[in-house]
Amino acid sequence: MRSYRVSVQRGAFDVEYLEGGDGPPLLLLHGLAGLDWGRFHDRLSAGHRVVAPLTPGFGGSTGTENLADVHDLIYFYLDLLDALDVSGLPLVGHSFGGMIAAELAAVQPERFTRVVLIAPLGLWDAAHPVLDIFSVLPAELAEAMYFERESEAARAVAAVPQVRTAEVDPSTEEGQAVIDFYVERAKSMSTAAKYLWPIPNKGLHKRLHRVSAPTLLIWGENDGICPPAYADDFKAALPGARLTVVPEAAHMVQEEQPDDVADLIDAFLSEG
Amino acid sequence: MKLEMFHLAPYRGLPADFREKHRSVWVDVPRHLFDPAKAHEYYNQTLYELVYAAEMGYDGICVNEHHQNAYGLMPSPNIMAASMARQTTGVAIIVMGNSIALYDPPIRVAEEFAMLDCISGGRLVAGFPVGSAMDTAYGYGANPVTLRDKYAEAEELIIRSWTEDEIFSFDGKYTQLRYVNLWPRPMQKPHPPIWVPGSGSIETWQQTVEKGHLYAYLSYSGFRRGKMVMDGFWKVAHTAGVDNPYHAGFLQLVCVGESEQQVADLYGPHAEYFFNKMLHVYPGFADPPGYRTIDTIKAGLLAQTTSFGRAGSEETTWEQLLEQGNIVAGTPDQVLERLEHVIQDLHIGHLMILNQFGSMPHDLTLDNIRLTATEVVPRLRHIWNDVPEYEDRWWPQGAVVRDAEGVPA
Repeated sequence: MRSYRVSVQRGAFDVEYLEGGDGPPLLLLHGLAGLDWGRFHDRLSAGHRVVAPLTPGFGGSTGTENLADVHDLIYFYLDLLDALDVSGLPLVGHSFGGMIAAELAAVQPERFTRVVLIAPLGLWDAAHPVLDIFSVLPAELAEAMYFERESEAARAVAAVPQVRTAEVDPSTEEGQAVIDFYVERAKSMSTAAKYLWPIPNKGLHKRLHRVSAPTLLIWGENDGICPPAYADDFKAALPGARLTVVPEAAHMVQEEQPDDVADLIDAFLSEG
Repeated sequence: MKLEMFHLAPYRGLPADFREKHRSVWVDVPRHLFDPAKAHEYYNQTLYELVYAAEMGYDGICVNEHHQNAYGLMPSPNIMAASMARQTTGVAIIVMGNSIALYDPPIRVAEEFAMLDCISGGRLVAGFPVGSAMDTAYGYGANPVTLRDKYAEAEELIIRSWTEDEIFSFDGKYTQLRYVNLWPRPMQKPHPPIWVPGSGSIETWQQTVEKGHLYAYLSYSGFRRGKMVMDGFWKVAHTAGVDNPYHAGFLQLVCVGESEQQVADLYGPHAEYFFNKMLHVYPGFADPPGYRTIDTIKAGLLAQTTSFGRAGSEETTWEQLLEQGNIVAGTPDQVLERLEHVIQDLHIGHLMILNQFGSMPHDLTLDNIRLTATEVVPRLRHIWNDVPEYEDRWWPQGAVVRDAEGVPA
């Protein structure tokens, strides 16, 4: 895995992106938890050159202050893809990245050969509300993200420090660590809030019909953030889309079952 | 020194087991607990108490805005203020205030404040709060990321709508208006004084000093934290050469009685109701992403809702509240001594006194107002008179100014 930077919109954005593997390119858009390159990415890059940009506000990508809403974000991404000079390639997005992927595939359907949406956000169904990720406490968030609640990743999410209820002394090492953690989380979550507050419906349902590339939907059976019921809504809006529900997995399905999800994607992409 | 009676208009009748049974007094407080017949009583008692405070000699009477909660029943404080303006003369009507980022278009606030200023004869203080996270981000669905930016734009628009001589157009990020032409216009010139209730956010200190708005720190977490926050404000103010105590205000819970034991017996349960039920907020609602700025987080300052979001922690007792300085209570002399210290140490020219809190019933509230207003307030009013350059430029032009003896000057 290699890290690169690219300037977009005449320097308004300095975007970090990760690349792994060789072969035909594949564009991968990360979710709310950011981009933590792991087994899933390694597996996917065995047969592809995986290009994974970090959305401004996440990791080392700058310029989030230049983006106000989904409209701005989509144009930013179109400029980024132009800057990276990528087209005629498959597009994979997870969670919030799945929402962006669906938007991009609707705006420039000719750009993408195939589309994989993993537990995408972007729709709203009052009968199955998306979890309020902005107010939920860490322990409940961990349960919504992970099927295996005792996993290291789930425990880490559940153990987020609760700075709100205690005085924090910036002059101590411990206090500074808590503050640093909160600064990083405030940056990424306030980026997400721009596009998802107070509910994640920003009009995607009005545009989904434009997606023409063959589409695969992947859902964790136990997804507590975006329940599998949304798969039916996406299928209804995307005639011909296929759905695979992965057992023993929640919202972080590609992290919990990396081999299964990578195999599903490889098989789907090899059809085209 | 100016002394003002502040009222939250709380729901006084929550069940005893509220804290055990429900996760939050704010945002998702169960609606079946709301009894309109009781609210009818509470609203009218609240209005009576505020008008009574004015009659007893307070300089100002204050109301504020909250949404979807049992902590304060005034989504529209302007409705209360309209009634207060009609029932009083001389006293400042302090609306503390309207969350200007929540109104589309924000000139709705400019219009209603102009109405109140005209009705009251220029006695209005226009409060411009950002609003708590629970009120704004959750109650009104405002995006916490853009809330402060939207607030700044709304403030500019409102002040321009009050002050510009010609019709103008406004091309903002959040509001576009082809014709801005306010009718009615405020009585006070150039406009009513602007007070900004704050919480320890660094940006609010800088902005109030820069713009010359009054900064009021409203919290219940006691004198120690109050001192920390006001020191932060004064550090910023001194850098800009500002030292006038009338630039700042502070809120304090106060109860007065004949003896310490009587005060504990009379007020103790209602103070505990306030701290254990009214501030019982689900922690997830206290700090949405973007609500606190990065600079404020880096400074290690807490969310606005300092005292909120402690669900699950131990209940607070009357003794602890006294010890921590959350409440100033005692005989008139004891309260006087303590408040003199608070005023001097925080260097404030406006003290907002919460004489009704939690479940405190109407009759006891009237006693507390009368004792505070007649036994304590007159003996505090002289503070700062010895420094002639300390001029209160934040007092409404139509409101009475009293001399040290309490006589309208």
